[in-house]
Amino acid sequence: MILALVTLAGAVGCVVRYLMEYSVGSRHAELRPWMTVVVNALGSGVAGWAAYRLSASMDADVRSIVLTGFCGGLTTFSSAFAIPIFLAREHRRGLAIALVMSTPLLCAVAFVAGAALSH
Amino acid sequence: MAAHHPLPRRQLLVAVAAVAVGGAVGTLLRVVALRIDSTRWFVELVGTSGWATHVPWILALINVVGVYFAAAALNGLLLRRGPNDLGRLVIITGFFGGLTSYSSLFVSVGAIWHVSVWGAVFTVLCAVLSGVGAAWLGTRTWSR
Repeated sequence: MILALVTLAGAVGCVVRYLMEYSVGSRHAELRPWMTVVVNALGSGVAGWAAYRLSASMDADVRSIVLTGFCGGLTTFSSAFAIPIFLAREHRRGLAIALVMSTPLLCAVAFVAGAALSH
Repeated sequence: MAAHHPLPRRQLLVAVAAVAVGGAVGTLLRVVALRIDSTRWFVELVGTSGWATHVPWILALINVVGVYFAAAALNGLLLRRGPNDLGRLVIITGFFGGLTSYSSLFVSVGAIWHVSVWGAVFTVLCAVLSGVGAAWLGTRTWSR
């Protein structure tokens, strides 16, 4: 049962990510890869909040649904690297490097901010 | 399918369904794989050695494999397909997006940080380098 809820939360996270990328990408195509960066940072921020707010002993199931499910689906490691490598090949190396470098930095900042808000 | 135009409502609903199906399968696979207790294996093989015990080895493996196959798919099967192409939505946005996770990496990095700040920085650095390497290898697959 809990496995089904975690899976469902993951699917919801993926859909939220797609809709955020889509809403920007359908108007400003060149900004779409940046939306992936924003979504990854957002997911890390929620994870930072949830990781410290929902202690493992208090509610392990809710923790799994939010952290492993929703945040895991909302964020993506594959697109964070697979998309920039193709931009680099299309001679947009500066953009590719900016995307790859900014993601972990913004995710770290968002995670710490989320953790700080949980206290 | 046009790459970057607003989709008609019905097509957007189909797109959302495609992402949801791929995302559910990817998430399920990740959750099942993460049941492997890599910390116990690490302790048995290497012994308790500070921050390295907290490194999410299984997630790191999932992430690298996900980057490699996503890049390979974009280079082969999904070459020149736009971001709203249904195949790409199921496989890249849904399946590999659900399979891999950036946030879970930082949950583990947070735990490492409490033990060793340099361990945390080193883990993120290794994750980024492995991602770049796997993506590069992926583009070498099925290239014509």
